Amino acid sequence: MVSPAVDHFKDLETPRLALLAPNLVAAAFPLMKLMPARYILDRAASNGELKTGSHIVETTSGTFGMAVALLAAARDYRLTLVTASTLIDAKYRARLERIGATVIALDDPRGDGNQPGRLERLQEILAKEPDGFWTRQYDSPGNWLAYARLAELLIRAIGKVDCLVGCVGTGGSLCGTASFLRTVFPHLTVFAVDTHRSILFGQPVGRRMLRGLGNSVLPKNVRHELVDEIHWVGAYPAYMTAHRLLREHGLFMGPTSGAAALVAQWVATTLPDAQVAVIMPDEGHRHAETVYNDEWLSALPGWPCKELSEPRTLTTIAPAAETQWTRFLWLRRSLGDVLKTQAAGEVPPAVGAAENL
Amino acid sequence: MAEAGDLMSRGALPSPVGTAIAIAHHGELIQGVFKDDDGRLHRGLVTLPIAGLRSEARFDRSDGDAVVVTPDHKIKAAAAARLTLDFLNVTGGGALTLQSSIPVGHGYGSSTADVVAAIRAVAAALNVQLRPSSIARLAVSAERASDAIAFDDHAVLFAQREGRVIENFAGSLPPLLLLGFKANGGVPVDTLQLPPARYDSAEIQEFGVLRALVARAVRLQDPHLLGRAASASAVISQRHLPKQGFDEIADIAERAGACGVQVAHSGSLLGLIFDLFTPNLKRRAALVAQQIRRAGFKDVEVHLVNAEGWPW
Repeated sequence: MVSPAVDHFKDLETPRLALLAPNLVAAAFPLMKLMPARYILDRAASNGELKTGSHIVETTSGTFGMAVALLAAARDYRLTLVTASTLIDAKYRARLERIGATVIALDDPRGDGNQPGRLERLQEILAKEPDGFWTRQYDSPGNWLAYARLAELLIRAIGKVDCLVGCVGTGGSLCGTASFLRTVFPHLTVFAVDTHRSILFGQPVGRRMLRGLGNSVLPKNVRHELVDEIHWVGAYPAYMTAHRLLREHGLFMGPTSGAAALVAQWVATTLPDAQVAVIMPDEGHRHAETVYNDEWLSALPGWPCKELSEPRTLTTIAPAAETQWTRFLWLRRSLGDVLKTQAAGEVPPAVGAAENL
Repeated sequence: MAEAGDLMSRGALPSPVGTAIAIAHHGELIQGVFKDDDGRLHRGLVTLPIAGLRSEARFDRSDGDAVVVTPDHKIKAAAAARLTLDFLNVTGGGALTLQSSIPVGHGYGSSTADVVAAIRAVAAALNVQLRPSSIARLAVSAERASDAIAFDDHAVLFAQREGRVIENFAGSLPPLLLLGFKANGGVPVDTLQLPPARYDSAEIQEFGVLRALVARAVRLQDPHLLGRAASASAVISQRHLPKQGFDEIADIAERAGACGVQVAHSGSLLGLIFDLFTPNLKRRAALVAQQIRRAGFKDVEVHLVNAEGWPW
């Protein structure tokens, strides 16, 4: 049930649809995570898990945290977000706190986000709070189910979708949209975008520069069997593509949208007869002093790097430099199956959906 | 409704007799639960109208209070006539006569066609115009759940138990050829005995996607998108009112290059949707009809939908 008082959030969770090429449409969101946040809270409210004055907890400081913070404020819930000191900047924290969220930033000596420490703290809060509610964006089916609305918007705007490109972090947006689109378009080809040293598609964990996609833990909402190709994009090409989106299309988006756009533009060029859609999760304001700041950028070793027009195809999954873009043919397999063939040294086919079409 | 009376008194002397028709349908393109603009869920459907089968009603006004219906078992149509008189603030009753070519119990909407024809005949006898939305609302009052046949070939997402439009698709369905037939040995289904289907969260979310397909199909007159919506809704319907041999039909449809498979969600009808502009459609449809008969289905028929005098 939605009261008119909070209904303007619908505009924030509705993407602008921008034509980037004759066969490429971008769904550019102001704040995409409102879609799953709202769905999860609505469902919890209607089944009684979430009561008046409940205390909501989540381990995020990203855009899902912002989305829950906006909804919690509008609906009078208390909210605590547990994050790591390496993942949150002072201004974003101040904005979350101004909305009314309590932000706990834990130490992160290894620089990998300290997810175990965050989960431990979250459990402590839940144990103390009889009316505590954990939104569980990583595992709640509400996360992927919410994206039927994106599938719906894409169909109304462009009809048949042949290829879908999107980043994977929790798995909600890409796997949700893909699963609903594939129900009606069984031939849909799904391109997942991740970054080097994220464990989601079998890389060893490590320090990552590009935040907002990738993960050090594996959320249940990542459904590998939906994915045809996986692309790992480093931070530099992602930043550079984000700049290009602003320059060439007037789209001021975050760096993960840059990573997705890089892959999508390649897919659209490689498959000129296919209708391609790409998901862009949020705007660039949060990154004004980093990704969109020349001073910050010029301090990066080797910045800028050479522009890339195509990925390097891997037959063995391995991390690469932040200047690199690699690709691997996943072929709708489970993570276990892929890791097994990798361990056995079997070489997968080097020709993918793109070359076959 | 005082307005209606005023209008009448100003108009010509109303004829005491009104006649009207209503067409049948071939079940639903999609059926499920759908969100309104406020996020509330409503049961809803998109009807697939077929103009070839129809119900005809005649209403003779009389001064007596009673509405007398022939044949006398069509009590829902009689109730609809009574409700229409009340809605228009008219005293008296009349004789309602119905004649229908629509088979009963398979999902052709025979009873709604009677009800809608009756409502229209009463309005005609009173020389009053009724909007499709009012006719649809009266039909739901008369028979508890109704379909969207009051809108004729105009495509709407209709809340069949509330009598209101959830989404107006602002146009008619694309022209198409429908190869219709009956499953389950052609045994009729008593729709009133069916409990309303319980859908899970994933199905409820998927219905939004199917509704988007119908909207796009109507806007661009694309039978292929319409077929995909129908097929997906038919697959969901299998969990609630299974049709024997459905998988075999889905195979035949795929091999024949059909746009999709459509089912009556509370009846025994199945249909294969074809793009009317497919080359050699007549010969292909005849071949597919043969395969369907061989697979044991009954009463294979060809219906043209929005075909505008297409030669057949």
